[in-house]
Amino acid sequence: MTVATNSWFTRYFTDNTYDEMFSPDLSVKGNWKELLENFKRLGIDGLTQRQNDIDWLLEENGVTYNVYNDPNGLNRPWNLNVVPFLLHADEWFKIEKGLKQRAELLNLVLKDIYGERRLIKEGVIPHEVIYGHRGFLRQCDKIQYKLDRHLLLYAADLARGSDGRMWVVNDRSQAPSGMGYALENRSTTNRVFADIFADMSVRRLSEFFKEFNELLVEASPEKLENPNIVILTPGSHNETYFEHAYLASFLGYPLVQGNDLVVREGNLYMKSLKGLKRVHVVLRRVDDVFTDPLELREDSHLGVAGLLDVVRRQNVAIVNPIGSGILENPGLIPFMPAICKFFLDEPLMLPQIASWWCGQDKEKNYVLENLHNLVIKPIDRTNREHIHFGSLMTKTELERLKQEIQRKPYHFVAQERISFSTAPNLTKGNFEPRNMVARTFTIAGKNGYNVMPGGLVRVAPDRNTLRVSNQRGGTSKDFWIIDSEQAGESPNFNWNRRSAVSVSGLADLPSLTAENLYWAGRYVGRTLVNARFLRMVLKQTSSTEIIPQQECSVKLNILYKAVTQMTGTYPGFMEKREDGTYAMSNPLEEIYDVILNSNRVGSLAHTISMFSSSYYSIRNLWSSDMWRVFETIQKLWRNIENEKDLTVTKLIKALNQLITRLIAFMGLIEESIMVEQGLLLYFIGLQLEHSMLTITKCRALLVNKQLGQTEYEILEALLASHESLNIYRYSYRSFIRIEPVINLMLMDLKYPRSLAFLLVRLQKDIARLPHSQRSDTLMQYEKNVFEAFSKLRLASSEALAITTGSDSHVREDLDKLLEDLSDLLFQTSQSISNTYFNHTYKQSQLVDQNFSI
Amino acid sequence: MLYSVSHTTTYNYDAPVSYCHNIAVLKPRKSPGQELLEYKMQINPEADEISERMDFFGNYITRFSIQKEHKQLKVTTVSKLKRDYEPYKLSFQSEACKSITLEQARKNLQKTEAEILDAKQFVLESIFIRHWGESIRNYALESFSPGRSVFDAAEELMQRIYVDFDFVSGFTSVSTPINEVMEERKGVCQDFAQIAIACIRSIGLPARYISGYIETLPPPGREKLIGADASHAWFSIYIPGFGWVDFDPTNNQIPGNQHLVTGWGRDYYDVPPLKGVVYGSGKSKLNVEVDITRIP
Repeated sequence: MTVATNSWFTRYFTDNTYDEMFSPDLSVKGNWKELLENFKRLGIDGLTQRQNDIDWLLEENGVTYNVYNDPNGLNRPWNLNVVPFLLHADEWFKIEKGLKQRAELLNLVLKDIYGERRLIKEGVIPHEVIYGHRGFLRQCDKIQYKLDRHLLLYAADLARGSDGRMWVVNDRSQAPSGMGYALENRSTTNRVFADIFADMSVRRLSEFFKEFNELLVEASPEKLENPNIVILTPGSHNETYFEHAYLASFLGYPLVQGNDLVVREGNLYMKSLKGLKRVHVVLRRVDDVFTDPLELREDSHLGVAGLLDVVRRQNVAIVNPIGSGILENPGLIPFMPAICKFFLDEPLMLPQIASWWCGQDKEKNYVLENLHNLVIKPIDRTNREHIHFGSLMTKTELERLKQEIQRKPYHFVAQERISFSTAPNLTKGNFEPRNMVARTFTIAGKNGYNVMPGGLVRVAPDRNTLRVSNQRGGTSKDFWIIDSEQAGESPNFNWNRRSAVSVSGLADLPSLTAENLYWAGRYVGRTLVNARFLRMVLKQTSSTEIIPQQECSVKLNILYKAVTQMTGTYPGFMEKREDGTYAMSNPLEEIYDVILNSNRVGSLAHTISMFSSSYYSIRNLWSSDMWRVFETIQKLWRNIENEKDLTVTKLIKALNQLITRLIAFMGLIEESIMVEQGLLLYFIGLQLEHSMLTITKCRALLVNKQLGQTEYEILEALLASHESLNIYRYSYRSFIRIEPVINLMLMDLKYPRSLAFLLVRLQKDIARLPHSQRSDTLMQYEKNVFEAFSKLRLASSEALAITTGSDSHVREDLDKLLEDLSDLLFQTSQSISNTYFNHTYKQSQLVDQNFSI
Repeated sequence: MLYSVSHTTTYNYDAPVSYCHNIAVLKPRKSPGQELLEYKMQINPEADEISERMDFFGNYITRFSIQKEHKQLKVTTVSKLKRDYEPYKLSFQSEACKSITLEQARKNLQKTEAEILDAKQFVLESIFIRHWGESIRNYALESFSPGRSVFDAAEELMQRIYVDFDFVSGFTSVSTPINEVMEERKGVCQDFAQIAIACIRSIGLPARYISGYIETLPPPGREKLIGADASHAWFSIYIPGFGWVDFDPTNNQIPGNQHLVTGWGRDYYDVPPLKGVVYGSGKSKLNVEVDITRIP
């Protein structure tokens, strides 16, 4: 090692903890030498550049991690450090063997606990470790499964212990997260370090994911070549939602929520556009107790009522089986050597973190005496907020904890404070040692368990923090297993995927996805039309500031009222507010509010947030270009919101940008999502929204006849907001008059922005919906659009332009027609919802109960 | 004694329910001194599918679903039961039962026989009976004093609950925390049973929750009213070295032939008579009718 690279590390050590890269004599350990050579070649600047590439790639791909209860935490970017974590194949070989043994062992524990319970009967483990753990679900007792192994997916957190070996610190078995992030980390480093990968023999992950896919197919209770497999997510607010969507699109299976599924006649079905579709395998990311509100947690809206019964009948396989949360149990750790002896008659291979279960007097007394040095966890709540660090607690807190332990000793386990090993992290051009934990993944295969060659490594957020957790803003590393010799060319991710076409057409689209696409279309249409209209009104306002005229204020009055009608932000400009004030007296303030107040339903900000959340919910359908443009829209909006001195000019400029980006985004949607994936629903939503807003706009601006110049200016404003001024001039080459405007806006069959054109398109699109093709009879929504279209065709612009009565200024026929059309389109929307999104049935309990189990 | 028990639960919804999934614990289980001779369950509208299984505690669980739209759900069960609990009741008065003191009981509980291992799970906290406070433990300690017969202590606990607590319906719900019931000292039979169980568990002995019926007798000379009987709940304490002994704190008596058992568990959570998930909007109104008639 040259001085140059060594100088990177001059300030590296702070204390005497074990480091992954350096030996105690500061020499670099074997397998890291090659990596350092490569890093040296890049230089610190080159390496920093690669880190920037990684950050950019992650942002481009929208890799995120949500943090609960954190306003800025939703869709927080995922952090991946440029320095990977390395483990030599020789050491990994032993760890892998140990993980396979532990998975097998936990599988046997799982089978025994929900079966004969010999472990308890024969005194291998105390009954409280199981019966006193809330993850032991009595509802799952004696359930039989088709597969011999019950534990199908197992994750273990490993950390380097004081003896220099990797210790197990946590077992994860319900719905372990991280596999998708590990895959994403690898595909990112793979792109950034293509050269280094070629140079060092890093084990590939593709074989593991192929085996994982096989596991899902094998799990099907019926032997089918293409069983229907779904990925069940709690929804887009879940902390690892990115990963759910990522795995869904990587594996090619539909991403569903509890509402998408239903139990009928002892089978599980997915509600799709066409109807019910049988589901054979569920890869779930919903925790045990939330999976079935009938038998488990009654107030859960994340699961499917009756699911457990389908499992009992062996008509569906859940990965992992419901009830496997009992294995996330530090109370088992002290008994693992005995369990290993009992089942396998061999010693436990992987060391574990030293743990004392307080259900035994001797152990309890030890714990009570040494509380300040230990880490205390309840046996069934191993997530961070329930963990106590004795060393960080005050006397009173320790006393309170002691009482709690005394009251319910069996519920607590104390563990030794382990000084994690450190691994190098590149931070601001410097290498820093960071504490690290590695999550490994083990899955059941045909011949025993298979371990992912690598995993997800997480490191502490700064050099002084002991705790490692994504929740606290930590960062991650790719995990490389290094072989001494170059492995042969390994296959890429494009294995022969038997069930790649699980969603084979529009009819199989999950109805929740369909609904989200439909609303995405509606909201994107609403944002665009309203942004244009508001921009036009703002322009009018700023120009009349210079020439205040009588006509202008009449015109503005009408335009302001139209703003309220278009956005539905009543009372707005229509009448006085409840407190007696009137928006008309300070119109600019009201318009700013209608644009910026995200808490006001109907405001532009609110519509944008609705648009965003419907898009987040279908992000498994996105392309990376879509993500990027979407991000620029979000950023633009954040900047507007944070702008201190937001002048009218600045606001108009921002709306210009918003409109351009929205149009880019809409273009991308059309080319990135296939019609079978649900693009049709998006189009229907979009056409419907455009049609409805066109009607509202015309009603607000055309029904009341104005005098001379005002009428002209209103018509001009209308055409401008509709981006139709040039077309009008081109088509009519005349002074702007009411009849041609009605014609262009409503009746023109060739002009894509006219209502008639939109309705033709809408008729074509809804005819392609699955139920529309059933018979010669039209569906209700088809009838509605057909009727609307007919009414429009039967009208004439000349007749509509006429006001009735000599002194009346109202175009009553136009008003009546637009009112009818508005009603019909509203009914169309209702009918589409009722026919295709009927999962919106409210779920409630027969007896209202609200408690945790 | 032969009994016929009919139990009708009706839910009226103010808006149509499109479908529902339900679970019932209504079929009387196998229980000491009690035998089920006949059993029939009728569901209206007719269930689209129905299945029965035995749960972790040995209770019968019936699961059914209705997939047609309905505005009323009516579940009627009729059970014919043979009940002869007197020999058990008599055995509680024996030396074998009464002589076991608190210390002996705790010592016996350390044994590893299957029955004791099974009973021990009823010492632990359960879903509705957890986080009991000092007041519950202190209340228990007043009866469970060192050296005292466990049976005597439990009997006294039952009597004290009967005296100290007011029977007030509608004050509590199934999920009212146990400490709140203790504080207010009022509730219904479920609450009294659960208070007693919490007390017994707080001193380290097993206790379980029993759900069933009680036959009410009309005042002398009057005719019995239809629907006057009720579903009922009481508790059972496990005296290690003897066995399970039932007590009814609502009526201050050791259950006899007029108490009919449906099921048991750690608390109400394990044996709710009828629960379910319904899909539809609107509210429901519940009506329950129980009739117990003696068969000559």
